[in-house]
Amino acid sequence: MKEHNSHKFKFHPYLEKLYQSNKTLIIYKVEGGYNLYTDFSKKIILNEKNISKFLNTFSNKNYKRETDLYIGFFGYEILCSLLNIRINNQNKINFYKGIFYKPETIIKIRKKITILSNIKKHNFKNSFKKTRILSPFKLNINFNKYEKIFNLFSKKIKEGHTYQIKICTKYKNKSEINPVNFFWKLMKVNSSPESFMIRDNDFSIVSCSPETLIDKKGRKIITKPIAGTLKKNKITNKTKALKYFRNNMKETKEHNMIVDLERNDLSKICKTGSVKIKKEKYVEEYKHLYHYVTSIVGKLKKNISVKDIVRSMMPGGSVIGCPKIRTIELLNSQENEDRNIFTGSFGFIKFNKDMRFNIIIRSILNYKKSSEISAASGVVLDSTSKKEFNENFIKAKSLLELFK
Amino acid sequence: MIYIIDHQDSFTWNVVHQFSKFDKVYCSNYFEINQKKIDQSKTIVLSPGPGSPEDYPLTTEIYKKYKSKKKIIGICLGYQQILFSENAKIIQQKNIFHGHQSIVKVVSDKSLFKKNSKFKVGRYHSLKLKEPFFSNNFEITMRCDNSNIAMGFENRKDDVYGFQFHPESFLTTNGKILIKKILSA
Repeated sequence: MKEHNSHKFKFHPYLEKLYQSNKTLIIYKVEGGYNLYTDFSKKIILNEKNISKFLNTFSNKNYKRETDLYIGFFGYEILCSLLNIRINNQNKINFYKGIFYKPETIIKIRKKITILSNIKKHNFKNSFKKTRILSPFKLNINFNKYEKIFNLFSKKIKEGHTYQIKICTKYKNKSEINPVNFFWKLMKVNSSPESFMIRDNDFSIVSCSPETLIDKKGRKIITKPIAGTLKKNKITNKTKALKYFRNNMKETKEHNMIVDLERNDLSKICKTGSVKIKKEKYVEEYKHLYHYVTSIVGKLKKNISVKDIVRSMMPGGSVIGCPKIRTIELLNSQENEDRNIFTGSFGFIKFNKDMRFNIIIRSILNYKKSSEISAASGVVLDSTSKKEFNENFIKAKSLLELFK
Repeated sequence: MIYIIDHQDSFTWNVVHQFSKFDKVYCSNYFEINQKKIDQSKTIVLSPGPGSPEDYPLTTEIYKKYKSKKKIIGICLGYQQILFSENAKIIQQKNIFHGHQSIVKVVSDKSLFKKNSKFKVGRYHSLKLKEPFFSNNFEITMRCDNSNIAMGFENRKDDVYGFQFHPESFLTTNGKILIKKILSA
């Protein structure tokens, strides 16, 4: 949480011009700083028909320079369709199902700022966007409706149809935002390890996602599921949080389930016996809350394709529930609004097939003069609807505060 | 070869990896059973999965067809599936064990495992076997040390075994030894 201080207030003319311009821009948090991606030479808008082709393009590409990658996101719906699950009868705002961009310029913000670019002349068109809030936030389902879904899912758990299921709620308002300002404001208070921002002509996404779904280098693949959230107050600290999670049966069981699920998803694509728990049940600290995390590692089998990896790991289990297929079907039957980017994945795939993806949670999607923030929490049998409903609020809080 | 029938669970591939340590494994979805491969297999494993045994009539059919001809091992739903095929009743239980670690005790001297030995296991079940349960050659050999719920059966005559818990879970401390012993029995 410290590294932003070193560059944040330093004036850098190139960066200022870039921020104030109308250029499409992506920022992704990396260890020790941030990477900025811009000057996109290709933009691929995904749909059910072209996604396989897109995922296959990596099999015959050479990785020569750092800009040899596609960066972007998969929405929830297209990940379901990769698993042959169709979603019917939902209210949609018809947002993009997924977009990937090929950058020609990467700016690395560390202690120093480095600009790598395949472009000789950098032109900027000034177009500063002001944040305008046009209506207050409203929740898409009230507590009564939430409780109804909660009780139905509790019954499904008792009958054995699902072991754990996550209900998504959404905060929405009418607004236009300046995503760059929002992002740096957010990083000041909550620079989660998988934070990112996308600014495109007709939409923007600002996220402080804490969860790494895929970190793949060569044949080594790591996933870091989060299950368990504790609200911060004046007397809590990391040690107390760990004690709380360890002694809390509900959090422990929810976590255990996700660890076995992620072991399973890795096992589909990894060598027999290579899937191991790297670090079991530790605590990560954020501005408003603590998370309970485990990291799991595996070695990929030979001839595993990019598509195999995406299909095995996404959508990330910790934001869906378990078992995945049946639980997704149950969710889709009850949630009446499209999840859009929520519980999809943002990240990059290099031309050498190395990749990193997060799970898109704790995010603002601004599209058609409207912002939405989604949050989900789990129905397991030891939870109560009131508690989980409130947990959704805790999760959305630091994003809602940006609009103040 | 070991044939694993996947009831669309999110733990099946953990089972696949565990059994792959001992023999070649072929795993298929419940909806896409490969009859030829099943015939070639020495062992059939019925995976865990959502729902109850009634939801998977094909698995019951396969069980009945190959009982006493091949080794059959059931895990969680697979365990319930075998018992259900033996006319047991599978019922909802009051307390639900999803992601729960319990201690299981070997309660029978007919077991492959030493009587009274205890080990930690991972559980994911909302349903259980209704007792009393009797069927020829079936013996409940493991129980939850705390609640006494049936946790494992062995039918050594027909070479049929089942666990209500998950030997492949990271919560089970000696799952590998358990599977090894049953595969070599």
